Amino acid sequence: MSKTLLSTTDLSVSYGAVKAVRGSNLVVKEGEVIALLGPNGAGKSSTLRALVGLIKSQGRIEFDGQDISNLPTERVVSMGLSLVPEGRRLFTNLTVRENLLLGAPRNAKVGDLFDDLLQRLPILKERLGQISGTLSGGEQQQVAVARALMSKPKLLLIDEPSLGLAPTIVDSVYQLLNDLKKTGLAMIIVEQEVMRVLKFADRAYAMSTGEVALEGSSEQLRNSDEIRKVYLGGA
Amino acid sequence: MESLISYVVNVISLGGTYALLALGLAVVFSVLGLINFAHGELMTLTGYVLLAGILMGQPFWLAVLIAVIAGGVSAALMEFAAFRPVRNASGATLLMTSFAVSMLLQVIFQNGISPRGQAVPVPAWLTTSISVGVSQISKVQIMSITVGLVALIFLKFFFDRSYWGWAIKAAANDFEIVGLMGIKASRLITFAFLLSGLLAGIAGVLWVVQRGSVDPLMGFKPVLAAFIVAVIGGLGSLTGAVFGGFILSSIEIALQTWLPANVMPYREAITYTIVVLILSVFPNGIFGKRVQEKV
Repeated sequence: MSKTLLSTTDLSVSYGAVKAVRGSNLVVKEGEVIALLGPNGAGKSSTLRALVGLIKSQGRIEFDGQDISNLPTERVVSMGLSLVPEGRRLFTNLTVRENLLLGAPRNAKVGDLFDDLLQRLPILKERLGQISGTLSGGEQQQVAVARALMSKPKLLLIDEPSLGLAPTIVDSVYQLLNDLKKTGLAMIIVEQEVMRVLKFADRAYAMSTGEVALEGSSEQLRNSDEIRKVYLGGA
Repeated sequence: MESLISYVVNVISLGGTYALLALGLAVVFSVLGLINFAHGELMTLTGYVLLAGILMGQPFWLAVLIAVIAGGVSAALMEFAAFRPVRNASGATLLMTSFAVSMLLQVIFQNGISPRGQAVPVPAWLTTSISVGVSQISKVQIMSITVGLVALIFLKFFFDRSYWGWAIKAAANDFEIVGLMGIKASRLITFAFLLSGLLAGIAGVLWVVQRGSVDPLMGFKPVLAAFIVAVIGGLGSLTGAVFGGFILSSIEIALQTWLPANVMPYREAITYTIVVLILSVFPNGIFGKRVQEKV
């Protein structure tokens, strides 16, 4: 049985009077890929943002044996939690190389990691000097994932990796995620393309109005009537 | 020809100073979303430190160095004492705080030093001119152009090649995500203020040396000009700040050089009308990004 890497206990997030996340309990084990599902406004992105300290939360977040609840983002990142935000959020005024180097810890020897990334994503090699805002959506998503990897995370959080991308490009993004999965990197993926992510993930949580409504293995959720009803429009 | 050479010299000299000031404003705006109106008082403070250094018998270069460093350190202290406690407050609160700091410093200069201007003795070698063709160019202007251009070239390298340079540009683009890069927000903000203060310091020295005096309200006009420069260039755009500096200086010097004497009293009104026209074509500034906010 592998070790628990991340767990949340009664995690809640509020925006003023609006409760976006209501007491969710998540568990991620080492090397595990988790899908976080739910309609818009279910609290998926808020959960990811709370995990990395981008928004204040109530409840307890434990990562790698330590309480990281409400720690500043840079501390959480340095402990091995990294987020690929929704919409990629590259620094579009900087080159690909600058984006990647900013992702690495200050003063880190990044040579090997850089070489490894370029081997995995040869397309980046040709684009290193290009201003990242001029890349295509798919390339930007790859750079966003690569940038998040520069901090050598133990757990990678990815918010909507397929958002706004053509299906063939989404394939290449998932190819990259699959390569990462094989290296044993744990991930939480928030995704609207439910069936795709359920084929990829080991386990899944389905959120609804801020609460975890369903959880189970990906296979269980793929065959769940409720998931079919909500996402596929029929039983 | 003569007036053209002196026009170009004046534009580069004034534009360089505006660009340095506007860059200082833009750097802080990048990380905090604040136009720091106390930036002008950093210039003034630099002027007084320069004067003190000279009066205490320090060599001119050392007095300049100390003055510029004082500008940087004071800006970092200003951030720590005044802006850090209200960092998460609204933009209006930050703006009011910057006005308060600005006025507080003006009053301290007025009561602690003197409400009157103080002459700053500039070394004799700086007061002479050299001939370029038929034109005379003062050495102060040559120094001003050289220092301004060297500082801008240095900043270009800094923003293109250094980690902190990228971090500031990244913050200008998307401040929230900078934290995800493992960069501590408060360290980046302190660094931005330090850099902004050093730029105010360099601009302050150039301003004081050209005028030959320093007074408590000295910083107001140039910082207002720098604000306009930053807006023309596009708030938060570092390239825009440099271009804006030279655009405003070319308008101001052109009007000063060629406007008929009877229209001269309307010079500033004409300058600002041109600025309004530029902004009506480029509402976000020439290099500004379209503002989009997710509600």
